[in-house]
Amino acid sequence: MYIAGIGLVFARGRGIDSLGEALCDGWKPPSEQGCACSGKKLNLAYRVEQEVLTGSAVLRKIRRADRFSKMAVLAACDACGDSGISFTGRESSLGIIVATTFGPHATTFRFLDDVLDYNDADVSPTIFSHSVHNAAASYIASVLDCRGPTLTITQFAFPFQHGLLLARAWLDEGRCDHVLVGTVDECGTAMEYICGSKLRIAEDGKIRPFDFSSSPSAVPGEGSVFFLLTRKESHKKYCRISEVSLGGESIAQDRPNICIFGADGMAGDESTYRHAAPPYTTLAGYAPLFGSMMTGDGFHCAAAALMLEKQMRYANPVQDNPHDMNLCTMTEEAHMEDIHCIRIDCLHEKAVVRLKR
Amino acid sequence: MSMKVVITGIGGISAAGANLAETLEAFRNGRRNAGPVSLFPTTLPYPVFEARAGSIPPRWERKGMRTLSLALSALEEALADAGLRVEEDLSPLRVGICLGTTVASQLNDIEFYRSYRDRGSAPMDAVDRYLKGNLAQAISSTLKVRGPALTVVNACSSGTDAIGAALSWLRSGICDVAIAGGADELNRVPLCGFGALGIVSETLCRPFDRDRGGLNLGEGAGILILETESVARRRGVAPALFMAGYGSACDAYHLTAPRPDGTGLEAALARALAEAGAAPSDVSFINAHGTATQDNDRIEGRVLAGVFGPDVKFLSTKGFTGHTLGAAGGLEAVFTAAALREGWIPACAGFVHPDEEIGVRPVTEITSVRGPLAVSTSLAFGGNNAALVIARAEDGGTWRSRSCTLRE
Repeated sequence: MYIAGIGLVFARGRGIDSLGEALCDGWKPPSEQGCACSGKKLNLAYRVEQEVLTGSAVLRKIRRADRFSKMAVLAACDACGDSGISFTGRESSLGIIVATTFGPHATTFRFLDDVLDYNDADVSPTIFSHSVHNAAASYIASVLDCRGPTLTITQFAFPFQHGLLLARAWLDEGRCDHVLVGTVDECGTAMEYICGSKLRIAEDGKIRPFDFSSSPSAVPGEGSVFFLLTRKESHKKYCRISEVSLGGESIAQDRPNICIFGADGMAGDESTYRHAAPPYTTLAGYAPLFGSMMTGDGFHCAAAALMLEKQMRYANPVQDNPHDMNLCTMTEEAHMEDIHCIRIDCLHEKAVVRLKR
Repeated sequence: MSMKVVITGIGGISAAGANLAETLEAFRNGRRNAGPVSLFPTTLPYPVFEARAGSIPPRWERKGMRTLSLALSALEEALADAGLRVEEDLSPLRVGICLGTTVASQLNDIEFYRSYRDRGSAPMDAVDRYLKGNLAQAISSTLKVRGPALTVVNACSSGTDAIGAALSWLRSGICDVAIAGGADELNRVPLCGFGALGIVSETLCRPFDRDRGGLNLGEGAGILILETESVARRRGVAPALFMAGYGSACDAYHLTAPRPDGTGLEAALARALAEAGAAPSDVSFINAHGTATQDNDRIEGRVLAGVFGPDVKFLSTKGFTGHTLGAAGGLEAVFTAAALREGWIPACAGFVHPDEEIGVRPVTEITSVRGPLAVSTSLAFGGNNAALVIARAEDGGTWRSRSCTLRE
């Protein structure tokens, strides 16, 4: 299947060009929230700027939507816009798969505020309906007038990769001609508290993908990325997704131009990454640009697609290299044919998405 | 021609029964096991359909993870029905787990949040349970199988869509066997939410009835074992039921209300029938979504009449189970398969008075069904519409579609 369009929203902006700029500009510190004077640590996170989520004409159609749905709608609409494909008159040819780890948890907690503050009978129906995981997919479908299959999935292990697998099956079956596959996760204050309790947060704000530490550091992130996938090569704008492998199933062993590691401190012990790529492969890891997310592989695939389209390779934003691996240290033009995006979960299971020019 | 997928095992637990035998007995007797909420404190007066105390076998009790406990109970029955032993039979195969839910996907532990909000800190037990309770991953981990594990959160159509996704996996060769369906526990958060939406009845629900006053919430799990026909035959199973088609279409209309003209449901039905190579006249009955809300039943009933004709045989089993949300599609697919196997469907519990606005009425007594095909439908928040076509094997243990519209 081919990538016809990409849209995204993350801490460094909106749209595929903003990812290209971030890849060129390199690492920037995450934002801080909280009050240092209270004696508590400031919460570090790669948050989406509020101004990114205001002002768009698309958002005027979904005024009641929460932050979670807005991020997803912007990314999904931008992916369609980026492709230049119109679905007018063939609305049922488009399917949607939204993958998320934690869903619209900030809205869920707002609903719990209602339950705690008022009687069980006096809660807000609007907040409740937005706390449902598939609210974002519903808004995307409404804005795009998509009448095809629409699915929301939630996973702690490989949510994006599962979405890709199902999209390929839908395309193979002819269930639809195009599938919008994407991820969305947000970072609300309660989730930041949970991350602070469950994860080791990098005090300097730097995720170090090549430490291969058994107790790595994370910096929570948020955002959304969508891909418009198609079976038609003529619609290809970026590259082909040639293979999606889950749970250690074999993938072609020939050495790719680059392996992008999803190591971001979210899955605990990262020591397995050290031997996850064929020997001497050039390694990259761009989580320091967008933060730690179990759905972060979508951003890595977007970076890979950009490299294949532009025939560029981008320097690692954080180049700490205690194991003397072959890291990509320069941003430069390069012949790029084959990129593997690798993620290893907390059970040391590996998932690989292979993108080819 | 797409690969045929066989249903080799089914299992279900709900207020209607701890297993299929008990459930069919309740269906036969018209017994509706509803009552006040006992699982959590609430001021809401609505009757609910809770799984009876003691119906989850102690070996499958998982403290604070009732959805998972319900799913494991139904899974055990489904695996036994399929004649599949976990270690001996499943471990050599690629086993996909695809389950729908709503409650298990949300970190909505009220005491955790109260503590965090009031004191700025909270014990992590609830978070740990949540992280361990992702339905598909937890089942995959319990069975120690290899294959994809996907939790579908499509609101009230989650179970049906999970079965549809599993069907796609099997046809695409992603796995050999799929464990598919849905599970959900009764929980205070959706009870408050649905109550606030004004669609919960203070009396027992009356699907498709003129005087229906809304839904009753319930809980349960419905699990199907799906296999490619070749895998099933290789282990000596003569197929008796097939998962013949799945269709899904989005309304693209409103977050909570169905599209008034019902075109989304029509499209889902058309797709499911086309995949099965079937015409509406081939369908012997429909297990409808039938929540007993005004909008759902009016729109769904009209669509069923339009697609299948005025003499359509249909029912809603929610009068026996309540609306089990993410479990509903799984349970209702299980009931549909069981009805095809048994040759009868129960009366639509709660229905008394025909609604002129709908124009058709559900079955009001135990009714024999002889045709080879049945349909189960689901409609959901977000505008999801989904339909499954289940086929009974004809002579010779196979089932032939009359045509195939799928592209290679």
